[in-house]
Amino acid sequence: MSLYKFNKKENCIIDELPTNDLLLALGLRKGVTVSVLTRQPFGGPIVVKMNNRSIAIDKNVAEQIMARLVS
Amino acid sequence: MKKCHQIEEKNVDSKNAILLMGNPNVGKSVIFSKLTGMNVISANYTGTTVTFTKGDFTYKNEKISLIDVPGTYTLEATSPAEEVAVDMLKQGAGAIICVLDATNLERNLNLAFQLKEYNMPIVYSLNLMDVAERQGITIDIDGLSKALGAPVIETVATHNKGLKKVLDEAVKAFKAQEEIQIEVLSKEERWKKVGEICEKVQTIEYREPKFIDKLGDWTMQPFPGIPIAIVVLALVLGIVVGGGKALRSLVLLPIINEGIVPIITDLVSRIIPEGVFLKLLVGDFGVLVKGIEWPFALILPYVLLFYIVLSFLEDSGYLPRLGVLVDGILRKLGLPGGNIVPFIMGYGCAVPAILGTRASSSYKERLILTSLVSLAVPCTAQTGAFFSLLGDRSVFVLIFVYMISFVAIVVVGVALNKMLPGKSAPMLLEIPNLLMPSKGTLFKKIWIRLKHFLVEAEVPMMIGILLAALIFETGFINVIGTALEPLVVGWLGLPKEASISLLLGIIRRELAVMPLLDMDLSIIQVMVGSVVALFYIPCLSVFIVLVKEFKLKVALILSGTTIAFALFFGGIVNQVATFISNLF
Repeated sequence: MSLYKFNKKENCIIDELPTNDLLLALGLRKGVTVSVLTRQPFGGPIVVKMNNRSIAIDKNVAEQIMARLVS
Repeated sequence: MKKCHQIEEKNVDSKNAILLMGNPNVGKSVIFSKLTGMNVISANYTGTTVTFTKGDFTYKNEKISLIDVPGTYTLEATSPAEEVAVDMLKQGAGAIICVLDATNLERNLNLAFQLKEYNMPIVYSLNLMDVAERQGITIDIDGLSKALGAPVIETVATHNKGLKKVLDEAVKAFKAQEEIQIEVLSKEERWKKVGEICEKVQTIEYREPKFIDKLGDWTMQPFPGIPIAIVVLALVLGIVVGGGKALRSLVLLPIINEGIVPIITDLVSRIIPEGVFLKLLVGDFGVLVKGIEWPFALILPYVLLFYIVLSFLEDSGYLPRLGVLVDGILRKLGLPGGNIVPFIMGYGCAVPAILGTRASSSYKERLILTSLVSLAVPCTAQTGAFFSLLGDRSVFVLIFVYMISFVAIVVVGVALNKMLPGKSAPMLLEIPNLLMPSKGTLFKKIWIRLKHFLVEAEVPMMIGILLAALIFETGFINVIGTALEPLVVGWLGLPKEASISLLLGIIRRELAVMPLLDMDLSIIQVMVGSVVALFYIPCLSVFIVLVKEFKLKVALILSGTTIAFALFFGGIVNQVATFISNLF
């Protein structure tokens, strides 16, 4: 499922992500655990938590990131 | 590569140069200020430094040039800031001080390993150790040093901790001239290695989030983030508008108009005989009268308060959060949310706003933001002028002018977004921690900005006023007034002398408003004058920045368009308002 669709606070592991050096540089890679912190109306970005960090990700990009739920 | 960099680069002697590098927002600018004693502005969001700054100093009989390189996540040269960084590296230096953020080791080490591909000794400054400690992060310094094969020094730059040691090691490194092992890794290998190192040297202990961390998260939720944003905005307006008015009428105007100016006028008229020269100095438009009253009593209070508020917001880390909230809407103007930072800076001065757009990777974004700031965002000096002109006369007209500004931003932004080719970049942004700004850094920053305003504004303002005085005293105003009569009187409905506003407005934006203060104008005329001034050509210093950043052609087009816009809409306001008032 795309990262954009996860419920808030659900921990998920990233499986696939588009090639984008900035994503990598921000620490978003295969296998890292993140959770959605906020979502915005009007096609705004989502903010995800990764360890102690908050990262804003554009809606279009977040829709291309595939992740699975951590049980 | 832009030409201006090449010219500057020739001045840098690479042998005793030390490059200060690292990810954005890790404290490079703070380290630079502390080591060189030079004042550079830092802020709590990515991309404050968009071009390099060089500081020369002598340390232990060693002449050193420290170069503050723009912060980058990688060295792939995808934005102007990264291009500058890669260029500096290619040119070579005696050593690199690589600043690492202790709270975000993994990402910082990725850049650290990319730097190892260049043939230069590196010293690592592991910064923000205090914040890391608060977050429950501990790092095995010796282990990290071994893994990197270079000295690693713990630092807290804002408190000057460890910086001397970093410099000692850097000097030692470039004097030693040891053989350096160049390590070239593929992207995958690099991330793997970085991950392994982090696992080995870093332990993270979970800490219960504090109130400020929770507040930081709330500010990014639509609720309560949007109500919080409205409260913040109201507070900003209250402080700048209300505080500015109080400061102006209770403190500065009495001191200047009843104290300083009469003393100067008295003194000057004793020394200098009656005549044109005396009038130029202390007459109605005298340089020593208006040249003191306008900038110091009428403009300064607003400028001071705006910079206090702006600096506080910058250092608190609130602005990128606002960017997240407004991204969806701002995107309709072709601007991803991150652009809110240079946009808000534009309400201070267009020059740093335009330079600040360098951090964004798309040319389209830069051009849209620059156009909007040049056309419809009044700078703080102009805001002060509007408040002086309109605040006491009619709050309605004041609100009207700002409504017009807002509508123009939206309409022009949407239109430019449709017209200009290209795409704006997606929003991908690290949100810094929300924190209470340190008083010392804040005070210093406000002081730098204020000093800058006094130096930048006072000289052109004096020249402008002198010019105005000359034009009035010589009667040349009649010649200009007659020449511009069809435009100024016929179309805009302003008195002939108001043409002086159009002339002075070229020098500085607020000078398009100030002369109107002393003319006996009707409410419609004040409104028209304000609308013209709002859109009118950005001042000379903005024009120079436009030429530098976008070439002469774009600068000329932008300036020409803003003038046409100003005169056209000023006239429309006049015609409509006159028509309506004739109905009653």
